[in-house]
Amino acid sequence: MSAPPAAVRQSERPGLKALEQFLFHEARLLDEQRWEEWNALYLEDGEYWVPATPGQPDPKNHVSLIYETGLLRAVRIKRYKHPSAFSLQPKPRSVHLVSNVTLDDFDGSNGECIVTSRFIMLQYRREKQDVFAGSYTHKLIVRGNEFKIASKRVDLLNCDAPLENILIYL
Amino acid sequence: MAHYEDERLADLVKADRVHKNIYTDPEIFELEMERIWGRAWIYVGHDSQVKEPGDYFATNIGKQPVVMIRHKDGEVCVLFNRCGHKGAQVVGDGCGNARQLRCSYHGYVFDTDGALIHIPKEEAYDGTRFGKGRPEYNMQQVPRVDSYHGLVFASMSAKGPDLKSWLSGAAASIDNLVERSPEGRIEIAGGCFRYLHDSNWKMFVENLNDAMHPMVVHQSSSGTAKRVFDENLKEGDEAPFELEMLSPFTNNYEFFDKMGLTAWDYGHSVTGGKFSIHSGYSPIPGYMEALTNRYGEQRTREILAVNRHNTVIYPSFTLKGVITSIRVVKPVAVDKTVIESWVFRQVGAPEELFQRSITYCNLINSHANLVGPDDYEAYHRLQHGLQTQDGNEWVSQHRYLGLDEVDEDGTKHAVGTSDMVFRHQFQTWKNYMVNGGALQ
Repeated sequence: MSAPPAAVRQSERPGLKALEQFLFHEARLLDEQRWEEWNALYLEDGEYWVPATPGQPDPKNHVSLIYETGLLRAVRIKRYKHPSAFSLQPKPRSVHLVSNVTLDDFDGSNGECIVTSRFIMLQYRREKQDVFAGSYTHKLIVRGNEFKIASKRVDLLNCDAPLENILIYL
Repeated sequence: MAHYEDERLADLVKADRVHKNIYTDPEIFELEMERIWGRAWIYVGHDSQVKEPGDYFATNIGKQPVVMIRHKDGEVCVLFNRCGHKGAQVVGDGCGNARQLRCSYHGYVFDTDGALIHIPKEEAYDGTRFGKGRPEYNMQQVPRVDSYHGLVFASMSAKGPDLKSWLSGAAASIDNLVERSPEGRIEIAGGCFRYLHDSNWKMFVENLNDAMHPMVVHQSSSGTAKRVFDENLKEGDEAPFELEMLSPFTNNYEFFDKMGLTAWDYGHSVTGGKFSIHSGYSPIPGYMEALTNRYGEQRTREILAVNRHNTVIYPSFTLKGVITSIRVVKPVAVDKTVIESWVFRQVGAPEELFQRSITYCNLINSHANLVGPDDYEAYHRLQHGLQTQDGNEWVSQHRYLGLDEVDEDGTKHAVGTSDMVFRHQFQTWKNYMVNGGALQ
């Protein structure tokens, strides 16, 4: 893979197939619990955000189920291996299904793509399986042949319902 | 329910231990709903959630659906959410504004104080006992409603101590929460978490003043945060608030002992007072000045010197003043509890103070964070461990037994890791549950 040129240049509009493959790859990294590789998909200041209410305008003035940038993700990822993380014993497993992918917006001048999709995530731990579903909004930056995640917003269908633990990134 | 006579109920609570059935028996749960949640002052909501006439907020007291609503005369009413006609819940859910409350089944209409004001085909009731002006067919007001600094409480019992006396020493925690606003005013803002637990409500309530658990239960989150931030922060970098917040959870036993415990009448208690795990937060620019302008230097220093950790207002909610938030206990079944987290904005304070409380709640109270699930796990294992028939029917509360200091007015003090608070909560539990609620 060649490094992107230093100078800003017009990026090409990515094809849907490439976007889908990227989202499938991200989902696979989560299911295979390859957390560090998953985190490396993000820009360092990239945001991962799960709002706690439908249509939540921002993460600062309203509570969120998760709002993390790089350092907090690093804490969560390191904790996955901690011997005293009792809520992760036995270890949770997941299946992420991603579908209905569309490229909603593309800015050729900086390679910014807004990609929306739908997901279902099954979380299994200790004889209990939970179903989570909703939509993803990814802000991706095209750099040469690869994508980086500038932000990922997860709108959970029942984000404001009484819920038990969500132990794996949605 | 003849199963638990008074004598048998009283026997479940000893001076140094309680019987495990208290957490696991559905019959006890039903009795608690009737005798504790049906007698004590229960937190309903804050009046900032119903600012205008007709604003309503539907919630529960114990298992009973109620509506907090501002009547057109400005008073906040708490109504049982039941149509006076056939019994349907009148308000479906959530919050909103309504000039009148109309039942969605047959269209009977109630005023915002619950009075029945419209009956379709009214003439059909001629010569019967049903009709307008008959209070028994209104949406009923709960027996007693009162508020303290806008926090609205209801009691399902017509008799009992007034709210202020009942709050006892815990009232000072609410005072401090409000005084930390430069305008002396708080309002609910920023949404709510509703965290479902598969455990008994008392496990959460006890845990909020359990200073023996953080260094074990939260080692994986607090300890890891310290390490990751240490590795990544460069010399001279400001410590982010997330680190200030997470790292004190793994302070040592000595720290938590010194924080201290205080308990008052009616089961209320607090960890900390002069300092707590919330003491080390960086100052917020402009906040001190705003407080000083309102209160003067000396009073501002006194207000900020109060550093209570968790105040338990037994049985229905817990409160933090430095982090401006409350957690409200909603028992559903003997092994099912919803904990709601709400945040207050301290009116007139820099927005950063409010946003810091939001960040705290995200990190500690959300069901998708790194701290709450480990508490959940502890309660889950309690609920299941207590199912064993191993010959040990008792839950121990022996730590620092006999070493409580008691003031003349009955206020109790102990070191932070004492079981004093648990013993105290269960003496209150017994008082509510036995002898027709003798304490009441």
